[in-house]
Amino acid sequence: MAFDIDKYTANSDAVAWGDLDFDTFDTDPLPPESLRTLRYMCDIEYHTVCYLRDLLTTPSHKEPEVGAFMTMWNREEFWHGEALAAVLAKHGITVDFDQLKATRLKLGWKDRLDPIKQSVMGGLVGNDFVAVHMAWGAANEWSANAAYLRMAELEGHPVLAELLKRIARQETRHVAFYASQARDRLKDSKKAQKLARFALSRFWGPVGSGVQDDAEVTHVMNHLFGGAEGRKLVRDVDSHIAKLPGLEGLTIVEDSLEKRGVAAA
Amino acid sequence: MTPPEATDTAPFDVREFARTAQASHRAEVDQAAIASSGLGDDVVHLIRVLRDLERATLNRMRNLLVTATHKDARVTAFLTTWAFEKFWIADALDAVLEAVDADPAPLSGPLRRTGAERAERRGPILRAIAGNIAGTQLVAAHMTTGLVDEWISQVAYRRLGSAASVLSGLADRLVGLKDRHVTFLAEEAERRLAQSARAVKLARKAIGQAAWPIGAVEIPAADRSFFESFVFGDAEGRAAAARIGERLAALPGLGAASGATVTARLVP
Repeated sequence: MAFDIDKYTANSDAVAWGDLDFDTFDTDPLPPESLRTLRYMCDIEYHTVCYLRDLLTTPSHKEPEVGAFMTMWNREEFWHGEALAAVLAKHGITVDFDQLKATRLKLGWKDRLDPIKQSVMGGLVGNDFVAVHMAWGAANEWSANAAYLRMAELEGHPVLAELLKRIARQETRHVAFYASQARDRLKDSKKAQKLARFALSRFWGPVGSGVQDDAEVTHVMNHLFGGAEGRKLVRDVDSHIAKLPGLEGLTIVEDSLEKRGVAAA
Repeated sequence: MTPPEATDTAPFDVREFARTAQASHRAEVDQAAIASSGLGDDVVHLIRVLRDLERATLNRMRNLLVTATHKDARVTAFLTTWAFEKFWIADALDAVLEAVDADPAPLSGPLRRTGAERAERRGPILRAIAGNIAGTQLVAAHMTTGLVDEWISQVAYRRLGSAASVLSGLADRLVGLKDRHVTFLAEEAERRLAQSARAVKLARKAIGQAAWPIGAVEIPAADRSFFESFVFGDAEGRAAAARIGERLAALPGLGAASGATVTARLVP
């Protein structure tokens, strides 16, 4: 299934919420555990630019289609951050640029070495490394999409649900891009398949782990994916990932829940 | 839009900039009028150079993001929108090239390789290492070089508009877009340079190593020479280059020597 980049760029826009009645949060506010999860999501969306950095250390962005996607995707994710920040603001929680900066400064050496590691890997492995990035991105976008839809359903707040569905709709297009890129690149290279399988099974963690405190990651996983219903959604995400060439049988998202002791029932 | 000089009033509103980002300009590009008036070879050549420079924005993004600059969320919010606008500027230039059936391919050919520009040709690994050593004050150098680059591009788009009257509306529009980029970068550069001697030192060093416009090291040597002579080669161009040097020299701590370095590199 080819991804139509011209159509995507032409339609790429900031997620809209001006038409939604955010004043309903005054009379019908979200509970603290949901705000904690939203805060996490909001931070992660703003930090997309850090993930973009890692992608840019590979030669892939010189391909016009990939460069065009990255430009739009990075901006759409920024706007997801803005939209979620607007919801949080209605609950007296301010997310400003200085706080985000503080989070990034806290990352220290790991963050400073990452671009070097990524570039070295890209240099050693060459083009197959791009396939790993694409498969990784697909896994992230699939789980983000599941997380937003689950949050909308759990909360049952009509205004929040509409906003999260709009965000999830954009994530669906990101999934389509990453998955089609990963599929094309993996199917042509056994080496890329081995590398992607190795990288995802050894190093993949829920979106935001490594940036956010572990306690926050565990809270979000429990909140969104705890219990039988949550587990079912996660298995669904895993089944999509496992359909990529060479990734058969991987259950990386479920494994990450197990590792964090998130109950399956 | 705010003129670039008005930076000492209200601080630049990054969120407002993000909210009002300009996407496709195709509706404003009158392809029929461009086709019927035609474009000279030099104009087409200039457009192809500008298009390739705008399209190389992600290279610049990478070079900034592998350093401490990526930590500053206000700066990255700006860069996110700035890259988006530059994507659509390149698209507008493509629309012009399409109108006259010009070769749409990126320019190719041997690159200019000079010792002074060695630092500009560094890949992400060396940049990340150098960026780690330089630390957080490097942001000031990035804002300063980015500012000079925007000034240069404004001169280039004005020259484009005067060289082809059918493009003057589009050229004005693009210069106007860049006014906002200039406003942000000028404000950031001024504030950061005024606060830190180390920022000044790093900015001077970056100016000393720079190739203009940013991304020029990837543009074929013949096309770079064309760009320099078309934009800065005559009396008007030399005056514009001198003005860029003066504006740079007026930034806190930089001084006439840095300004003169830039001017000398612009004029062929």
